[in-house]
Amino acid sequence: MILSDLLGSPVLTADGERVGQVVDARLALDGPPDGFMVRTRVYGLVVSPHAHRSFAGYERTGVDAPALIARFLSWRARGSVLVLWTDLASFTDDVVRLRPGARLYSPRLEHSGP
Amino acid sequence: MRNDRELPAPPPVAGRVLDADLELLDRQILDPDGVPISAVDDLELSTPADLARLDPQHPPVVQALLTGPILMTRIFGGRLPESRFIRIPWSIVTRVGTVVSVGAAADSLDASWTERWMRDHVISRIPGGRHDPE
Repeated sequence: MILSDLLGSPVLTADGERVGQVVDARLALDGPPDGFMVRTRVYGLVVSPHAHRSFAGYERTGVDAPALIARFLSWRARGSVLVLWTDLASFTDDVVRLRPGARLYSPRLEHSGP
Repeated sequence: MRNDRELPAPPPVAGRVLDADLELLDRQILDPDGVPISAVDDLELSTPADLARLDPQHPPVVQALLTGPILMTRIFGGRLPESRFIRIPWSIVTRVGTVVSVGAAADSLDASWTERWMRDHVISRIPGGRHDPE
């Protein structure tokens, strides 16, 4: 599977309600050593109800300059959410389906850990 | 309209977190000597055993950076077949920042074969093409 398989895929709740489409995959570098790096897993998917792609990640980073561009791109990505991998039920026919009771999280990117 | 300020923050992660499209794709890949190798065009992820019933305990892991001739697909749409990509194993990546650094020399990787071919078959046959400018 390659990342592009996931990007752009529609995301539906367990009831079939559309959440949006996958605009990014959040990775967690928290596994055991894997060569020079650590094993890196898919932690969740960033889902946007409006934008097809996320440009420059203004809605996730808190960067607010240049102001006009930041406002426009944040508006374009309004309503974006993060869904965790543990809340994904299936990925078939290029559609991601969530488990019943899946939680939606803020997509803001807070760099954590070492 | 849903406001992300109303949404809770996700559970914390012990290690670093990064968004693949935002912080990996299109980044330049450099070898230990700073020689450009290519750019990150895609990522190879492990495929879950059963896509119809995803296992929450076994998320996909990053296996390789992929690089390939994606210019035409970006202009005209569509997707490059997986077989056209060249893999750079994730295990040789040493750092992810504004560039992606790998721990192997550019000449030892398949991703730089076009540069090597051009150097050996074209540039070296041009008078003066076998040494640095003086």
